[in-house]
Amino acid sequence: MAWKTQMDRLLVVLSLATGAITHGYNLFNYPLYVTDEGIYIQQAWSVLREARLSPYTYFYDHAPAGWLVIASWVAILPSQFQTFGSAIDTGRALMLVVHIVSTFLLYRVTARLSGSTAAAVIAAFFFNVSPLAIFYQRQLLLDNLMVMWVLVSLYLATSGSDWRRGDMRIMAAILSGLTFGVAVLTKENAIFFAPVIGYLLLRRLQGRMNYRFSVGFWSFSAVSIVSLYFLYATLKNELFPSGFSFDLNNPPADHVSLLYTIWWQLHRSQGSILNTSSPVWQFSLGAWLPKDTFILIAGAGAALVSLTIGVLSRGRRLEGVIVSALALSYGIYLARGSQMLEFYVVPLLPFLAMNIGLVGGWVLSRVPALLRPVPVLALMGVFVFNPAWGYVLVVDQFGHVVPHDLYKLNQTGMQTEQLQWIRQNIPPDAKLIIDDDMWADLHDQKPYYKWAHSHYKAASDPDVRDKLFGKDWRNIDYIVMSNKMRDAMLLNNADGGETWILQALDHSQSVWSVEHGDVKLEIDRVQK
Amino acid sequence: MTILTDVLVLGSLLLSVLLTIQSAYTLYLMLYTWDRPEAYQKAKAPAQFLAAQKSFTIMLPARHEEDVIQSTIERVVRANYPRHLLEVVVICKTDDQGTIGKAEEKIAQLSTEGLDNVRVLTFSNQPTNKPHGLNVGLASTNYEVVTIFDSEDDIHPDIFNVINTVMLQEGVNVVQSGVQLMNYESNWYSTLNVLEYFFWFKSRLHYHARVGMTPLGGNTVFFARSVLERAGGWDENNLTEDADVGIRISSMGEPVRVVYDDRYVTREETPPTLDHFIRQRTRWSQGFLQTLMKREWARLPNFEQRLLAIYTLAFPSIQAVLGLYLMVSLATMFTIKTPVLVAITLSLPLYLLLAHLLLSIIGLYEFADAHRLKPSWKTPLVMMLTYLPYQWVLSYASVRASIRELRGINNWEKTAHVGAHRLEPQPVGGAAGAKA
Repeated sequence: MAWKTQMDRLLVVLSLATGAITHGYNLFNYPLYVTDEGIYIQQAWSVLREARLSPYTYFYDHAPAGWLVIASWVAILPSQFQTFGSAIDTGRALMLVVHIVSTFLLYRVTARLSGSTAAAVIAAFFFNVSPLAIFYQRQLLLDNLMVMWVLVSLYLATSGSDWRRGDMRIMAAILSGLTFGVAVLTKENAIFFAPVIGYLLLRRLQGRMNYRFSVGFWSFSAVSIVSLYFLYATLKNELFPSGFSFDLNNPPADHVSLLYTIWWQLHRSQGSILNTSSPVWQFSLGAWLPKDTFILIAGAGAALVSLTIGVLSRGRRLEGVIVSALALSYGIYLARGSQMLEFYVVPLLPFLAMNIGLVGGWVLSRVPALLRPVPVLALMGVFVFNPAWGYVLVVDQFGHVVPHDLYKLNQTGMQTEQLQWIRQNIPPDAKLIIDDDMWADLHDQKPYYKWAHSHYKAASDPDVRDKLFGKDWRNIDYIVMSNKMRDAMLLNNADGGETWILQALDHSQSVWSVEHGDVKLEIDRVQK
Repeated sequence: MTILTDVLVLGSLLLSVLLTIQSAYTLYLMLYTWDRPEAYQKAKAPAQFLAAQKSFTIMLPARHEEDVIQSTIERVVRANYPRHLLEVVVICKTDDQGTIGKAEEKIAQLSTEGLDNVRVLTFSNQPTNKPHGLNVGLASTNYEVVTIFDSEDDIHPDIFNVINTVMLQEGVNVVQSGVQLMNYESNWYSTLNVLEYFFWFKSRLHYHARVGMTPLGGNTVFFARSVLERAGGWDENNLTEDADVGIRISSMGEPVRVVYDDRYVTREETPPTLDHFIRQRTRWSQGFLQTLMKREWARLPNFEQRLLAIYTLAFPSIQAVLGLYLMVSLATMFTIKTPVLVAITLSLPLYLLLAHLLLSIIGLYEFADAHRLKPSWKTPLVMMLTYLPYQWVLSYASVRASIRELRGINNWEKTAHVGAHRLEPQPVGGAAGAKA
């Protein structure tokens, strides 16, 4: 037994090391900093520097647990936001830690549920090397933090001697509930995992001595943590909209409201999977499949296999039902077509990897134990070394085998140059329209550019739009264009909020620009 | 005015944090056995009994128990245990002729059946209380293991087999077996009172036993005679002589084994009226306060034991604060404009209060399952409504206890027993119907 434990430890360490390398190498250079990363680091900045949840009016667009964690991370670092370079780099360093923790949890949870080390190794492998996973998991996103909390919750929910039937400590159930609550307060769509974890607990504890207490306190703990969000809104007198008006055509004007925002989110559909022009199709065909076809197709296939075997086995292969449900419940959320952004695929990835691992484990259980490493290593070797799969090596346009962009491209360098140019050439009292990606850097390092605001806020926040800029393009001095920012402005202009900024853009002249591949950054001075 | 508000807010904040910690700790103690699968297994009675070997002195201290003493004697003597290994003494003060008469009547009746191992012991000097009676009993008996049952107790016929086996198998000298109030749907406070016993004996006491600081219960507790003699018997000036003797025995380093097996619990009843309930609770609170001030706990060998002793004994006094604090906390939260984080901290005890309520409601179904009962759907609703009033009653009793202690009032306020837990369901078309 001792060598088995040693071997297991070695495999965990190797899995974590793989994750550290694939995610850590070139982390600060690629991919490009994006708006959402900027928003979360800016809100963490506000927590630390202003003791508020956002430098602007906080309108309950997301629950704040994610950037409270980011703020705590920054708070303990020696040079705070500048510890790892730019503010977003500092946030990305946290994402590396989060990925390593998540890999550990994914490994253990998969090993417990499947009873197979091979399954755990395979799941951790795909979670670590999938280019799709690496691309989004390197970014400072709430979804990455949420995934970690969901995995912690699952890790606790599968604790005890035998997850299928064995006793479980109530303390583990309470902690699992608390961490699940934190997951929901990090990113609300974690709620789609609740039925699966609930089902897991019900199935394993039915008839056990602390069935009622464990299930009861799991639910209580989760609900308590989530209720803090509602309590917060109540205390700020922002739970209900003014006049209890939930009219979506007439948003309440005098104060923000949590319940109104939830109501609004629930009605923000962009078309379900039945509509071929919906974001589900757009992202899956345009952004996700090109990055990693295998994990999506094989993961979905494995989930269906797991589900079928799980259901047909009448409880003997309960893990099949649980693991497939983890992927499918979130998949249904994506498919039903709510408001969606490109990185919404993140929470699906660990569970697709888990399904591939589970099915792989089942197949390998038919191979003699001593021979099992052979097919596993062969599989890994193919993915790592065969450029046809495009995982680590790819064939470039000249037919050469080169490392994947993830490991060689420097895109953020252009953004750093852009920031440097601003600092060298634009006076700090200038009024700038920017994208959120450089917000924290401009506001946290001397000299402060306190009149640098993102076009989103300048389009919608009355304090910025009306009070600072008077909604007049002549009041803008410079527009700092991030990649494809004009498209984003047009997309955000349904209510005409961006029009005055677009006017400024029409009256401006490029004073700096850089272009590389499909990335183009610019700085434009407004000609008044 | 602002300074006053600041002080109030700061005080509430501090109290909230302390209260949250305290409340979470109590919650853990109440869940302890269910949280630890190994503790849950250990709490059970042995599955098979060893041959009877230990002899038992059974003390039945009684005062004005004319109504129930005969059935108590009946149950004890009819236990499944060799008669020659049981010695039963009913202990009364000489002025309680009613109980003495009923007991002797029963003894005479039993002797016609050849059952002659029961006698009445009397004492006439002061104080008139249970520990005094127990000391008298201890001095006049000589069997190996000494135990106590109260007059209203319904004991399980196999209880002596359970204890005999545990003592022989584990070599322990002190065993506390479960005591359980049963009439959980009698009145508005009975459910919560029943559940207090359930959590105390089924869970919390096991934690105490593990730490090595066990305030024992007043009955169904079994001592090797030598241990009691070394401890010097019971303290006649203490209103909770049971908890006190438990702490003294713990400080001697003597391990206490706790057995709570739903099948073998001693069944009791809740006090019949609120007035009696308050009196009983006042006595306990005051007794705990006395035990705290006596500082016997200071002789406990390690820090954790001493801390647990202080916490347990001081708890009824803390309770006075708890009941009132909740209202202050709520009022502060919504009336005084505080930063949101402060307000959220002030609300934490409220969350813990809800957790305790949830614990009790789940506890109701655990209790009902263990004893094959079916609670009415109304019971949990009643619990929700009565949970806070119940806490206030406990607070009132503990304030009352503190005042009594300060004024030096130390008499034993006796609890009446009507035998509500013995009311078996009548068969359909009972005696009255048959006569008609």
